[in-house]
Amino acid sequence: MSSVAGTASVPVPVERQRARRRAAWRRRGTVLAFMSPWIAGFLIFFGYPLVWSAYLSFTHYDLLNPPRWVGLANYRFLFHSDETFWPAVKNTLWFLAIAVPLQVLFAFGIAVMLQRARRGVGTFRTVFYLPALAPPVAATLAFVYLLNPATGPVNIFLSKLGIQGPLWFDSPSWAKPSLTLLAIWGVGNMMIIFLAAIVDVPQHLYEAAEIDGAGVWRRLFYVTLPSISPVLLFAVVIAVIDGLQYFTQAYVAATIAGGSAASTGTVATNLGYPENSTLFYPVLLYQQAFLNFNMGYASAIAMLLLFVSFAVVLAIVLNSKRFVHFQAGGR
Amino acid sequence: MVKRAAMAVAVLVSILLAAGCSGGGGSKNSASTTTFSADHPVNINYWVYFTDPELGVMKQVVAQFEKTHPGIHVTTRGGIDDTKILASITAGKSPDVAESSSSDYSGKYCSSGAWINLDPYLKQDNIPASTFPPAPRYYTQYKGNRCALPMLADAYGLYYNTAMFKKAGLTHPPRTMSELTQYAKRLTVRNSDGSLKVVGLDPVNGWYENAPAHWGPQFGAKWVDAQGNSIIAKSPGWKAFLKWQKNLVDWYGYNNLVKWQAAAGDEFSPSQAFERGKVAMNLDGEWRVSLIKKDGSKVQYATAPLPVADSMPQLYGAGYTSGSILGIPKTAKQKAAAWELVKYLATNTKAEALLSNGIANVPTTTASARSPLLHNDPRFAVFVRIFNNPNTATTPVSIIGAQNQNLFSTFNTAYQNGHASDLQGGLENVDKQINAALKQASAGGVP
Amino acid sequence: MSSAAIPVESEAIVRRKPPAAVRRKRFLVAVADHSLLIAGALIFIAPFIFIALTSLMTNQQALSSHLWPHPFQWSNYTEVFHKAPMWRYALNTMLYAGLGTLGLVVSSIPVAYALARLRWRGQNVAFVITLVAMMLPPQVTVIPVYVMWAKLGLVGSLWPLILPNWLGDAFSIFLLRQFFLTIPEEYLDAARVDGCGEFRILTTVVIRLSKPAIAAVALFSFLFCFNDFFGPLLYTIENPNHWTLSVGLAQFRTLYQVQWNLTMAATLIVMAPVIILFFLAQRAFVEGVTLTGVKG
Repeated sequence: MSSVAGTASVPVPVERQRARRRAAWRRRGTVLAFMSPWIAGFLIFFGYPLVWSAYLSFTHYDLLNPPRWVGLANYRFLFHSDETFWPAVKNTLWFLAIAVPLQVLFAFGIAVMLQRARRGVGTFRTVFYLPALAPPVAATLAFVYLLNPATGPVNIFLSKLGIQGPLWFDSPSWAKPSLTLLAIWGVGNMMIIFLAAIVDVPQHLYEAAEIDGAGVWRRLFYVTLPSISPVLLFAVVIAVIDGLQYFTQAYVAATIAGGSAASTGTVATNLGYPENSTLFYPVLLYQQAFLNFNMGYASAIAMLLLFVSFAVVLAIVLNSKRFVHFQAGGR
Repeated sequence: MVKRAAMAVAVLVSILLAAGCSGGGGSKNSASTTTFSADHPVNINYWVYFTDPELGVMKQVVAQFEKTHPGIHVTTRGGIDDTKILASITAGKSPDVAESSSSDYSGKYCSSGAWINLDPYLKQDNIPASTFPPAPRYYTQYKGNRCALPMLADAYGLYYNTAMFKKAGLTHPPRTMSELTQYAKRLTVRNSDGSLKVVGLDPVNGWYENAPAHWGPQFGAKWVDAQGNSIIAKSPGWKAFLKWQKNLVDWYGYNNLVKWQAAAGDEFSPSQAFERGKVAMNLDGEWRVSLIKKDGSKVQYATAPLPVADSMPQLYGAGYTSGSILGIPKTAKQKAAAWELVKYLATNTKAEALLSNGIANVPTTTASARSPLLHNDPRFAVFVRIFNNPNTATTPVSIIGAQNQNLFSTFNTAYQNGHASDLQGGLENVDKQINAALKQASAGGVP
Repeated sequence: MSSAAIPVESEAIVRRKPPAAVRRKRFLVAVADHSLLIAGALIFIAPFIFIALTSLMTNQQALSSHLWPHPFQWSNYTEVFHKAPMWRYALNTMLYAGLGTLGLVVSSIPVAYALARLRWRGQNVAFVITLVAMMLPPQVTVIPVYVMWAKLGLVGSLWPLILPNWLGDAFSIFLLRQFFLTIPEEYLDAARVDGCGEFRILTTVVIRLSKPAIAAVALFSFLFCFNDFFGPLLYTIENPNHWTLSVGLAQFRTLYQVQWNLTMAATLIVMAPVIILFFLAQRAFVEGVTLTGVKG
């Protein structure tokens, strides 16, 4: 664009000027045509819903009658009265603080081990990657079964070792750790990304470190980690984003482990079972919006999620320079 | 080239828009006519929750209706839940008659005007309120606005294994809670390692049909005051219930019960614990009678009303009930014809009896309870009697649906396993939450 | 690319020829490493084995604490199809994943190209918005979008799941853009000299050079749709005719009141297509995943 404007100041024949302008318009048309799906998609599925969500968050809306303006009532209720709100926030934070780092740790550990391995790398890689492919609903069902307190293989093994196994998904204190185990089982994608990054670390760096007398651990800390830190950051960002929208596994685990108390003639649900310990923030949102049809209030919940996820993403990206070593021109 | 791409995109966008536009059709309320002739039949759509085989029964009854009402033709669609009904009303594409599987939604449908008030129709056709017992009469209205009629209900009672009773020397079903506790302990059998083999009665909240709502009436427990405010903490019945439950749970050991439950079999499968003789007594609904037959279970059993609090013997015979409801969405196109169908399904004694026999739920009119058409199984009749008992209770109809039950249930679970110990404080907190939710839902002026 | 790097490393080891003691130590370390790997691999593979074993048990056994099926009840796998309309679920899943992926690829490529290789005002803003859209949880906008579909009367069908894909997907646009940036300018210039318009350049040069990236995007989209639960739960739950495998599986146990044996058989049936796809296109998987990481 600027180049067009720049050359326009030089006197040129009218003919050519017109041709240029035509070319410029054609370029604009091209851009517009190429961008049209994005523009439509942005307007219909992003821009408009965001604005509308913000508006709805100040209303009471049950899908049946037009939204009714209630000012800040939804937000007041959210912070002061809704006793499922803080548990939901805590559960999600718990997941971000414990499950996400563990995921990264395991993925990194496995990747390092795979890189050191000399034989059967392909097979090992497949085995560690495979669980990541299991559809989340299927994987969660499998874990609810594996960790069934009475007939699940895990507790049966534990009892053979003389250990009284916990109630896992049926216990408020063990439900989240159970979900964490499930999350760790599915770190395959992250592991592959790490492995590729580790393998790409220039060999001469290791050799130099070895000559300086660095052992295995020091090489890991001073060569491997800094070299792959951009990838590490990327993985953490993705894991945090996934953590903020953690829904499927929590939904399935609660409804399956909670059994069918909600049968005929009642809309009571098991979401959050047991004792709201799996009521993650998106689950709360789902419950309010689509089970209680409290759409205005759910919009307030969504708005808060918007701000928090925006802040989290921004914080990670802005602080990245502090702990990420970018190779010159490496990206 | 560019043009072609642009055109492709334009076509795409127009397809999308067209798809959108065709969906947004408005609804016209045609003038209501009260007479229907076979020459100009009116088509109405009827959405129900049931799926096969219950849907088949429903269609048979609807066919009967069409025979007696030649001017009305009904298209019945099954497998509909409340989300679908609400969405259809929002889209202006609702059916003419909707069935919701749960009276928990009455408050929502009535208060929002999503379903129309049926009082004028009832008056016009001289249908007195006494057609239905008190509980269904209550759960089909919200603050006097009767937007629904009951059609089939569930009633809850006690199933007990007569073979086990005989072995233990018990001759009659327990009538009080202390008797129930005593029986439960006596009928419990443990394995050599201390784990539970046969449980006398499993009171754990959330297991099978155990819920505060289902046990509460036996303790005379009250949910709300006359204004609709939650008064759980003020009702001594709830405390009595929770203490009774906690004591019994502790006797088994909470962890023992949870582990036993994990291998007890699913509620609606042939492996259900009562049907397999893993539990001696069980709170359950009337449908179990037909399920036991269908599953081919060899269990020898009888049914009875649930025991009541020792201090309230007068309540014996009552229980909890809730049911499915019929209504006419405000966006229905053929309201008069819709009313004919609602009236037929909800008040025709023969229709109610046929539905009850086929779907194995309790018929909802007082007349149909005495209908000779009803299958004559004394174990099922117990539930029909419970349903018609004047003390039989249901859950409060409110604009927050079942949220009150969910909030209470969460505390109940925490109390029974010892995570919450302050009973009074906990219940007051439940009230506070429910009242806050009520206030939130009515903020900006209740419609 | 990772598999190619491993020989390089062993070459380095061979080149330096360390003394025998060091070599012995290295051998022991390798044994320790491999033992750890084998232990980890066993733990990771064990769930699959137990799922498979349980899926072959009888009803009675599934409620007991036995771990080995006796007898092996292979009929469980046909029973699953009798209990639930699994083919119907599979068909819906394929419709969602197939049409969704097709639309996503077709609509995302031109956008990514415009963001990567055309110069225009507002480009950076559009790119940043794409990034933001990619990172924000979908729950943030779900309510108005749901209301919109409800007003169109399309809730209870697959359309709310498929149609948005035809308007570009932020993550795919981002990924493709990053890849398009790596295409040397000379290729594009050569085409321009030949008098090609941008559309022609995109369809001939760029798409031809970006096959791995496009394959990766298609693969991710397919997997996402196949695995998606939130979307189908929201939009199809009230109409079992439109349930996908994910929703059908989540409802399977409670709806059909089956024991763990049939549930695990169904679980394995739902896992199978993805795992088979993986073994057929292992390279595309690994390269695709790597691409997301490295280009990020």
